[in-house]
Amino acid sequence: MSSQASLLLQKQLKDLCKHPVDGFSAGLVDEKNIFEWSVTIIGPPDTPYEGGFFNAIMSFPQNYPNSPPTVRFTSDMWHPNVYSDGRVCISILHPPGDDPSGYELASERWTPVHTVESIMLSIISMLSGPNDESPANVEAAKEWREKRDEFKKKVSRCVRKSQEML
Amino acid sequence: MDSEDDMLDAHDMESGDDDFYSGGTDDYNDTDDDVEPDYGLIEEDADNSAMIASHRSQKNYLVLKEEDICRHQKDDIGRVSMVLSISEVEASILLLHYRWSVSKLHDEWFADEERVRRTVGILEGPVVSTPDGGELTCGICFDSFRVEEIVSASCGHPFCPTCWTGYISTTINDGPGCLLLKCPDPSCPAAVGRDMIEKLASKEDKKKYYRYFLRSYIEDNRKMKWCPAPGCEHAIDFAAGTGSSDVSCLCSHSFCWNCTEEAHRPVDCDTVAQWIRKNSAESENMNWILANSKPCPKCKRPIEKNHGCMHMTCTPPCKYEFCWLCLNAWSDHGERTGGFYACNRYEAAKQEGLYDEAEKRREMAKNSLERYTHYYERWASNQVSRQKAIGELQKMQTVKLKKLGDIQWTPESQLKFITEAWLQIIECRRVLKWTYAYGYYLADQAKRQFFEYLQGEAESGLERLHKCVEKELEEFQHAEGPSEGFHQFRTKLTGFTSTTKTFFENLVKALENGLADVDSQAASSKSTNSKASKTKGGGKDKGSSKNGGSSRNPDDN
Repeated sequence: MSSQASLLLQKQLKDLCKHPVDGFSAGLVDEKNIFEWSVTIIGPPDTPYEGGFFNAIMSFPQNYPNSPPTVRFTSDMWHPNVYSDGRVCISILHPPGDDPSGYELASERWTPVHTVESIMLSIISMLSGPNDESPANVEAAKEWREKRDEFKKKVSRCVRKSQEML
Repeated sequence: MDSEDDMLDAHDMESGDDDFYSGGTDDYNDTDDDVEPDYGLIEEDADNSAMIASHRSQKNYLVLKEEDICRHQKDDIGRVSMVLSISEVEASILLLHYRWSVSKLHDEWFADEERVRRTVGILEGPVVSTPDGGELTCGICFDSFRVEEIVSASCGHPFCPTCWTGYISTTINDGPGCLLLKCPDPSCPAAVGRDMIEKLASKEDKKKYYRYFLRSYIEDNRKMKWCPAPGCEHAIDFAAGTGSSDVSCLCSHSFCWNCTEEAHRPVDCDTVAQWIRKNSAESENMNWILANSKPCPKCKRPIEKNHGCMHMTCTPPCKYEFCWLCLNAWSDHGERTGGFYACNRYEAAKQEGLYDEAEKRREMAKNSLERYTHYYERWASNQVSRQKAIGELQKMQTVKLKKLGDIQWTPESQLKFITEAWLQIIECRRVLKWTYAYGYYLADQAKRQFFEYLQGEAESGLERLHKCVEKELEEFQHAEGPSEGFHQFRTKLTGFTSTTKTFFENLVKALENGLADVDSQAASSKSTNSKASKTKGGGKDKGSSKNGGSSRNPDDN
């Protein structure tokens, strides 16, 4: 099982090095461990996050791709769908079994056809359009809804900080 | 084919969510032409449970064993597959979606087949075309495979067998959601059916899947439930709308269909739930603590007084010394308060009626705890008594009756009156037990008086019967040969059984209509009235005469 996972991850890493995708770059945290990726997401243009370089760690489980990885921002991040410890909360990273009754359609949740690339694109689209219906960071969601200026100010602080770290 | 039609008709009658249960028992019996043998099975088994149950009412339910469940499930799938001209695998997917309601599925399918197919994920043809030869890339591991190796659901999305196996195994191990498995492609609605599980899952996973599949037939079905007894694998197929909701499983466990607690007629489900919650609740512990302890005035830990002396010393690290009576520091006590052992301040306060709040609360808690204990003890001991009676009945049936027959030169078939007495006892103990929960929550004083009268009558009748069959029978069991008094004993026991039955019927009836015939004012005279009519004999007459009285205030409760 884990050999399937590491083969698949190696292949995806190689593909991404050969054909980089706009909006993010990816590499390993430690060359010897294929299950921990370090990714940098470029703040999408025309959003408060524009100009930022946000670092995150992707951790893959041994039974990838049957279970989803977790993604955690290591850069400061102010966003309704990112927990205060940096963990990203989007539906495609939830295993289908998360739903207690087990009967919800799996279409919005994790399925094994997702790749690093599709996850990254989901995260970039999350940055452009937060989902404030089920926020991970309630404070940020409230600000995003009610005090957009405050929210933007906080985000630009994160952007500036991320630039300083470069 | 005849019975097939009957079935469809009956199912149509049951259609619609709201009046699903409105079909009477008659329809129900029509429905199950093909399961007739089950009734026979129950009777042949002559199991206690069936006998206890038949004591109560006609059956509006069926007990299903695992093989019956499989057969019913298969029949339903077969029927749908035939009527809708689809494969059995597709029929299973549809039934899983429509919670095994054949009629609802038929309605929806014939109203809008397109829509049903779309929501359930049974595609009419692949959305991705598969080339005739060459290689395809697996959508999960991106390796290339020959076309023959690639596996797809009805949609045609290509994945390799290894990835399928991993995908299926993960979902199966995530729980019953695997029954509604879809193609791994996120935007694809195609359902993954049993045939693919069969082909691709490991043996162990398959076993799990089929377990879920079987369970779904009971758990998702509105008219089926598992018997809640531990270790029992039977299910109950219930036709509601008529009669009582008590059902009896082949394993001899009787339970209430509505709340799945053990059978509790005549007490309603809410009372039972409240009572069970109360029995298990921390609140009783709390009451005990309140009644029997005082908090240390300094550290507030509850203290139970275990010595006579009023000089209390709290356990370390607190070590606070205080007076149990007034809860003030012991150092304040001395000549000033009238000596160590006569705390005047307390006495004075009590004389003036200045109990403090805590004292009052303790007093109240103590009373309420005593009241609860009263009912609980009786509830619990009837439970124990019933269990013992069940054990005794079993012994009776397996060994004792035969022996007794040999000694008394009586064929076993003529000793049925003993079995019947035991069955009556078992049923009455159950009713009696629950009347104590009822009594605990009965607030109305007048009603309570009447209730306690009925309960008392029933209880003393039951005790008489129980004693008779337990003690007096002994003598005949250990006799050397046929006893003279045995015939007399038979008459006596049969009599006791039937009077006890009448008492309990009255009690059950009275409780089931909420003691509606009690006139709050004239309660005491009422109870003497009913006593008078009881001595005249007819328990049933009594009921009707009371009903006449009750019409004056129908909304009494």
